[in-house]
Amino acid sequence: MHAQRLSIPFRTIPLALAIAAALPVHADSGAGIDTWRANKLDPSAGAASEGCDPNGTTWLAPGTRRSPTGNLYHCPPPAPQVTAHGDWQHYGVLQLGYLGTGGDDRNALWNRYVHWDSELILGLLDLSVERPEDGTYANVRASRISDDDQYYQAVFGRAGSYKVQAFLRDMPNVLSADAKSIWNGVGGNVLTLSNGLKPGGSTSADVAAVSSAAPERMLSVKRSKQGLGFNMYLTPEWTAYANLSDEQRKGARPYGGPFFFNFPFPANGGALETVKPIDDSTINVGGGLRYAGTAWRMDLSYTGSFYRDRYTRYTYETPFALYPVVPGAVSAPLTTGQMAMEPDNNYHNLKATFTRKLPMNGELSLTASAGRMSQNDTLIQPIDCQGVFGIGLGGSLQLGPQNPFLYDCSKWNTTAALSRRTADMRIDTTLLDARLVLQPASDVTVRGGLRFNRDDYRNGYLMYNPLTGDYGYVSENGSQGSVVPGEIGLFNPLTSPSALTRIRSLPLDLQTIDADLGADWKIGDRNTIGATLAFNRYEPTNRERRQIDDKSLKLTWVNRSLDWLTLRANYTYKTSDGDRYEYDPYDFTYSSSLPGYVPPQGGTPSHTVEALRKYDMSSRDEHKIDLMATIMPRDDMTISGSLRGDWNSYDAKIGRQAYNTTGATLQWEWQPAPTTTMSVYAAWDHSQLRLSNVQDQQNGAGTDPRLGGPNYAFDGQWWLRDKQRNLYGGATFDHRIGRVRLDASWNYTYSRGIDAYAYAGPTALAYPATVPGAGPGSGEFPAMVYRIQSLTVGVTVPITERVSMRFFDYYERGHVSDWHYLGFDQTLVQDHRVYTDAGPQSYRANLVGMLVNVQL
Amino acid sequence: MHPRSRLLRAAALLGFWIAALPGVHAQQTREDLSRDLPASGELTNADVQSTGRSLLAAPGFAKAKVATNPAFPDATPVGEKTCIACHQLEADHFTHTLHALGLHAAAKADPSIPVCETCHGAGSQHAQAPLTRGSIIAYTKNGGTPIEVQTKTCLTCHEGGPRDHWLGSIHQRNDLSCSDCHNPMAKFSVEGSLARDSINETCAQCHKDVRLQFNRRSHMPLPEGQMSCVDCHNPHGSLTSPLLKTNTVNETCYQCHAEKRGPFLFEHAPVRENCLNCHTPHGSNQHALLVAPVPFLCQQCHVNQRHPNDMHTPQSLATGSNPDERIMGRACNTCHANIHGSNAPSGSKFHE
Amino acid sequence: MNPRIACMAAAFFLASVAVPTAHAAGWIDQRSVIAVHGDATAGAAKATTCVACHGPNGNAIIPAFPKLAGQRAEYLAGELHKAKLGSRPDSPMTALAAPLTDEDIANLATYFASQARTPSTLPPADSAVLSRGESLYLHGDPARGVPPCQGCHGSDANGPADGAGHLRAWPALRGQNGDYVVQRLKNYRDGKLMDSSNDFVMHGVAQSLDDGSIQAIASWLASLPPGAP
Repeated sequence: MHAQRLSIPFRTIPLALAIAAALPVHADSGAGIDTWRANKLDPSAGAASEGCDPNGTTWLAPGTRRSPTGNLYHCPPPAPQVTAHGDWQHYGVLQLGYLGTGGDDRNALWNRYVHWDSELILGLLDLSVERPEDGTYANVRASRISDDDQYYQAVFGRAGSYKVQAFLRDMPNVLSADAKSIWNGVGGNVLTLSNGLKPGGSTSADVAAVSSAAPERMLSVKRSKQGLGFNMYLTPEWTAYANLSDEQRKGARPYGGPFFFNFPFPANGGALETVKPIDDSTINVGGGLRYAGTAWRMDLSYTGSFYRDRYTRYTYETPFALYPVVPGAVSAPLTTGQMAMEPDNNYHNLKATFTRKLPMNGELSLTASAGRMSQNDTLIQPIDCQGVFGIGLGGSLQLGPQNPFLYDCSKWNTTAALSRRTADMRIDTTLLDARLVLQPASDVTVRGGLRFNRDDYRNGYLMYNPLTGDYGYVSENGSQGSVVPGEIGLFNPLTSPSALTRIRSLPLDLQTIDADLGADWKIGDRNTIGATLAFNRYEPTNRERRQIDDKSLKLTWVNRSLDWLTLRANYTYKTSDGDRYEYDPYDFTYSSSLPGYVPPQGGTPSHTVEALRKYDMSSRDEHKIDLMATIMPRDDMTISGSLRGDWNSYDAKIGRQAYNTTGATLQWEWQPAPTTTMSVYAAWDHSQLRLSNVQDQQNGAGTDPRLGGPNYAFDGQWWLRDKQRNLYGGATFDHRIGRVRLDASWNYTYSRGIDAYAYAGPTALAYPATVPGAGPGSGEFPAMVYRIQSLTVGVTVPITERVSMRFFDYYERGHVSDWHYLGFDQTLVQDHRVYTDAGPQSYRANLVGMLVNVQL
Repeated sequence: MHPRSRLLRAAALLGFWIAALPGVHAQQTREDLSRDLPASGELTNADVQSTGRSLLAAPGFAKAKVATNPAFPDATPVGEKTCIACHQLEADHFTHTLHALGLHAAAKADPSIPVCETCHGAGSQHAQAPLTRGSIIAYTKNGGTPIEVQTKTCLTCHEGGPRDHWLGSIHQRNDLSCSDCHNPMAKFSVEGSLARDSINETCAQCHKDVRLQFNRRSHMPLPEGQMSCVDCHNPHGSLTSPLLKTNTVNETCYQCHAEKRGPFLFEHAPVRENCLNCHTPHGSNQHALLVAPVPFLCQQCHVNQRHPNDMHTPQSLATGSNPDERIMGRACNTCHANIHGSNAPSGSKFHE
Repeated sequence: MNPRIACMAAAFFLASVAVPTAHAAGWIDQRSVIAVHGDATAGAAKATTCVACHGPNGNAIIPAFPKLAGQRAEYLAGELHKAKLGSRPDSPMTALAAPLTDEDIANLATYFASQARTPSTLPPADSAVLSRGESLYLHGDPARGVPPCQGCHGSDANGPADGAGHLRAWPALRGQNGDYVVQRLKNYRDGKLMDSSNDFVMHGVAQSLDDGSIQAIASWLASLPPGAP
């Protein structure tokens, strides 16, 4: 059953009317999103194209000033040319032009978040109307690159009194530009095999032929958002704000679809990269009341978010037939797989903050917040099939006690087979926070904080079929149980008492308590040092640990003693530890916890290795260091640099063992004249992630969880080191020659990742036969590379006092190599594995633009 | 003709008309504007009545008064006209900012509301000896005004709301002034009175490393101008350590990715706990902002018997001797597609 | 390219260049001023023409002409460079400055800067006028928007105390001829002097000055004896 689609036809209402009927939407730095509207053509939404006022900043002194940290302010833009109409005045800019793309302009990376073609565009319309008398103003800003990539925004209000804002924004997100689908119906929720492929009866060669003949298509999702908001001063102390936005996402993306393993069974199973439709809408509502008085401040707010998905699930046909591992048996014909979509959900959150000014220049702030995330979407049936599913022993597909591994679809393909028809899941959140800051002396500040956060996970789901009395679930669209007898995923105390399968959902409550205490001390005029002690207690339920404690110490130093240097440095040491790590807390979610469960011969297989430490639960030590420097060698030059390091070492024999990142940046900026600026940056960062894992040796039946035992033998242990290195570089140049303005910018990013592995013995490998000898070994994957260079060159020529023209060229060259997709250029179908997305491709593309800029 | 082309052509003609006829409407020169400005002291009743309406100063400017400069407490106000006599170019740039629009309108309605001196303090000392540092509240380096005085002055009007938790916040503790990020003296940015072209450029002055991470292979559309740092972070201070605007990391992500909120019938514990267990928000060399490549990302936690704990080599790739779906393409997620949680009763392992 | 787009672009271009564009004439940026170190002796030799109007050693006797003696060299050099711009063809300085080279200008400026300014020989103005002038000079007039002149010209009217960098081009006013100051301020107020960035500043300052204030300031400056107060 499809969920009701809630959509508000904002697009059919002219923007003006929408403003008149306004329920305001105001995103500010305190709450909400949608804080910026621009596009790739001009991410500054018009500010960059204004250029510099050749007169400079002031007549009284040369150059520009610096911010207190030391960064040079940019040259101010020239004052707009204002036209008066009686009480009102207007000014603005209109930019129209033509863009032409060339080269690999269909490439997914080139088109990632932009949709430009060779066409006329509205580069920018920015019109402001003001009435200086009382500060009333209105502004319209718009840019349209194409149907999929445009924004319109209108604001009106009175300075210091109220503001009403409305916007419309379309943004594309291209996920694949070289996708080949063997299904029809992409974008909808019913995928049927194309080109005569027989569901459940086609060979791999058939499918490969259809895949290779399929046209290359683009899979993308477009986000269309409309919003309204207002912000108003009720009195000088009270302000109110409210906002409402509706975002629709529409498109399709590569996804998945399991029909059991292919790797152990040639010409069996199915790993299908199906295409998931995206058709949903999210309505975000927010509003609040704020009070800012001399002694008190208050902030009351409500946030609501309502997600509605058009489809509850999508179905797809599988082309492949299955065969069981038992000789003489036959697999039931399965033709359809299903994939549940995200459920419709609701979110409410109320938050109140009270702040009181204290003597000693202090403040006490108390916050309380309560929220609820809930969903009660209709559940889909356990399997979408007709007839029977499972294995027919002796070649017969007749239901009956002689065929214990064959199941009746009619008892499983409706929601009557569920313990509950709707999800009815809910998480209640609670937050309490208290903060205190005091300045007992002019050079000492003391601060402390306490925070309590709790997520209460309400409800759980028991997987039980009242029609058959079975517990558990139908695994992988029925395919697993159609290949391996007894692995359908069902436990029944009478008919399959030794089946080990999930029978319950996993409730995940959590509670965190934070406490911190810190002090900052100003030494003289030029140095500030600080220290903060922090403690965090994390208490999850139904996880490997009941309690994890983090303790950290942070030391900070800000130095301005040298006239030409501002230095900020900090060091943090954090240690994380917890109570006893239980490697398997999940038994209660498995059939082994049910009465009537009989352990199989040999015992219940262990859930995982005892030595595993999941990295969100493991004990860890962290050292973190940050250094930021701003250097002022000359009045018109700034050099800023930063150094960062974050070293995490996890106490784990198996699992993540280390995660370290280091990086450095350097930026140089020079403004020799009001109309000349240039900058250069270079940066480097490096990260290393190390983990260890261990292969099991007893075909999934091992009962000894110990590392070094017969199942998780030391010989099967292996290690992986993922090293990523990134180099960045870039330069910008902006200069006026006479009245002509030249600008250029170059950017370079080179990312290289190497995954290197080492193993104790060949039994660690998925395919031991692929390595010689019996001892330890190592190797590495081909480098994963992403190297992109882009160059933009532009010239702006004034034609008249109000009209100028800008010509620019944007050339980009990207080289990408991701080993996940090696070989996908030859074929997307390998045995029973069907892929749709051929992966990111290298490209060279160019954009040339001619824009006419008119001062309105 | 295609309706879109029609619209563009109409807009082009409109622009051409406006550009080609400059003389039709009077242009307001700077001299005209300066004559409109009030000097210090009272406007006469005649001036007020002549506006034809009796205006109340907008509530937002009720707190606007001459700022206190502790370094020169005896200075007296001189009025905007005196200031711009010397600082005309600054006034030129300031005039079309939102602060100017509001302060000028408020000063017209209530002459006791200063304009320049609301932020810069009484100007008599500075007017007599402008080279004395700190004689006026200056917001620049070497201006002579301590940073606490600068931020306190801005907060006289701008206290509360998003700046509720400024005191004790990381930027405040690191001795940042409002003017490190903001510059209301000219319209450098289209919104926000920022010191640079855009929010992202402003943050990148110091946080260049984070900004460059967005240039990596997978990233959210921040470099493309579709979102800004402030969509997730509140630079003025917040209740969380990474300056998030909501109560937790996940709630921040759900603002745009509400489909991941659930709660799902079957949860993937690290997802419910913290999106950052698997994703790195600012940019990644992997697909979909992942911390590590699949399957190794999953194999940090999944050592379960049978298929999760095998070590793969390049022989498992499509070009190898044993192509394996567990590492090709989207690897684990080809079968375990609903990895963020599943609402299917058969989806306890995220297959459906 | 689409022919219709090309036509539109061409039409736009042609129509827009048909409208004459106004642009500002050149002006000297005095925000970056380098110190003047000319040769005073050579300057003295070149200054024979100057004394006719500006008096012996640059102490002009005729009150309509400015005293050059003891004036800042950078200011004097700036004035000569501005005269060379030729924006006021009717001014005698335009023709006189035209043949000067940069070296000449530096030398002349250095020479006159090294001369001592002599006090005014004219009787001082009425004490009420002088006191108004002093008040305006030291404290300005906030009610009218007049900034105190001492901010830039020094509390002793000998130019800014810290004479570094671009401040060198801000002139000393102490003991300057009254009539000249009056005419100069009126020219600034009327927008007749817009040859340099400093002129732009003075143009703004002079907007708030009425004739009476101008007269008062000029009289007070003229009455000041040379040297420290």
